[in-house]
Amino acid sequence: MKEFMGKVGQALYFVLAGVARLWSLGSAVAAYTISAFFKKKVIPRAVLFRQMVLIGIDSTAIVSLVGASVGTVLALQAAYSLKSFGAIMYTGSLVCVAMARELGPLIASIVICGRIGARMAAEIGTMMVQEEVDALTTMGINPIRYLVVPRVLALAAMLPCLTVIADVMGMIGGWAIGVTGLGINSHLYIAKSIDALVLKDIYTGLLKSFIFSILIALVSCHQGLSVSGGADAVGKATTQAVVISIVLIIVVDCLATAVIYYALPT
Amino acid sequence: MNESEQPIIEVKELVKRFGDRAVLDGINVNIPRGKITVIMGGSGCGKTTFLRHLIGLYQPTSGDILVDGVNIAGLKEKEMNEVRRKFGMLFQGSALFNSMTVGENVAVPLREHTDLSPEIIRIIVRVKLELVGLTGFEDFMPHQISGGMKKRVALARAIALDPKIVFYDEPGAGLDPITASMIDRLILDLSKKLNITSVVVTHEMKSAFRIADQVIILHKGKVLQVGTAEEIQNSKNSYVQQFIQGESEGVIPFKQTSEAYLKGLLST
Repeated sequence: MKEFMGKVGQALYFVLAGVARLWSLGSAVAAYTISAFFKKKVIPRAVLFRQMVLIGIDSTAIVSLVGASVGTVLALQAAYSLKSFGAIMYTGSLVCVAMARELGPLIASIVICGRIGARMAAEIGTMMVQEEVDALTTMGINPIRYLVVPRVLALAAMLPCLTVIADVMGMIGGWAIGVTGLGINSHLYIAKSIDALVLKDIYTGLLKSFIFSILIALVSCHQGLSVSGGADAVGKATTQAVVISIVLIIVVDCLATAVIYYALPT
Repeated sequence: MNESEQPIIEVKELVKRFGDRAVLDGINVNIPRGKITVIMGGSGCGKTTFLRHLIGLYQPTSGDILVDGVNIAGLKEKEMNEVRRKFGMLFQGSALFNSMTVGENVAVPLREHTDLSPEIIRIIVRVKLELVGLTGFEDFMPHQISGGMKKRVALARAIALDPKIVFYDEPGAGLDPITASMIDRLILDLSKKLNITSVVVTHEMKSAFRIADQVIILHKGKVLQVGTAEEIQNSKNSYVQQFIQGESEGVIPFKQTSEAYLKGLLST
């Protein structure tokens, strides 16, 4: 029993210490971002735009593909249940609301987490190993300002955009299956979808994806910056970045959904 | 004492502990202005740790480090960055940014610390690359050039802001003898032409004695001897002699003593 409680305490300590480190990294990033409004040259533009291209434009294809597939699957599975109530024409509304509220942000975030989070952790981790981060420090350039801030901002700007793409592609996927496979009239499908969707569905989804983007960027950069040693440590940091990000995304998603739809007045 | 005779770096009673182990154990040393100082010692004697204190990457447990009269022990980041403007550092593995071209690498400190226009920065980058003998390599990526060339690019980056002091961590490591001696010549050239103070950490005898105005020998976290290259070569100290002759047996035993070995075996 004593041993078990000790393990629990130890685990709790690791979790809390991790949260504290993420918080301090996050507040440093926030401070630099705010100071960028008043001072010149806080954010290295070249790095920011390179990251935005890498995160945004280069990920469009894969996010579209995954989004469309999820929309298709969702329509097929929903139709199976809805059929027993004779409510198959509501497939469109279900797909659209689910994509906008939940699946669009979640899918875009998880794809980006695997694609970009891992890359950030590995890149910064390798820079730690090869003394590049020390080189920045000795040049009087703060590594958080030069490496972390542009990555966080680029991801925060691009992930909501990718979420919109995932939403739209999912809806198109659902529509395609609804019209061809399930035999729903195209006008009816679209009309039911527009009836069901409200603006709140879309902006809460975008708000979530914004929160996820900050989580992914902070966790990945933090993992990268805590690398010491060699290739082994870089590999570990990369895995950790992806695993921790995905777990955090899902936990925060639960909390956000509870707060937005149940705690706040509608 | 006029300004040029005053040491540029003064280290007083510098102690650094990692846990119980004192890696640096009371170092007192002056680094003269405009000269080349070589710090030598065996592996694990604390020379890299010492260098990292001089550039503010580590904070000392106790003691003072005065750079141009400013104590950098316990200095805040903002003030430390002011001091760092006087520094250039050449890392052992060059530490070039792999996602940038050679030219962009040299331009990083200029872009970050000055308000110069991109055209002027481009000219300065060319001049610095010319100084290290790499004219026309601006658009190469770091992985397209050899190890020796990378070192030279890193040196060009280190002197981009015309520092007063350049630190070199094992400049000859991993290079063939010819390239290594070319780097030595660059260190000498820069020191004489631009009147830069150089601090070189190395364990390569030949190169050390070729370039040094002053040699500092560290051993077990303490300063063993300070002197000119000649004084060190003629040293009476048996450890210094073992070190410069490169003998495996001597004052420093090849093996741990048998007692320690036995203890080590039995304690699991």
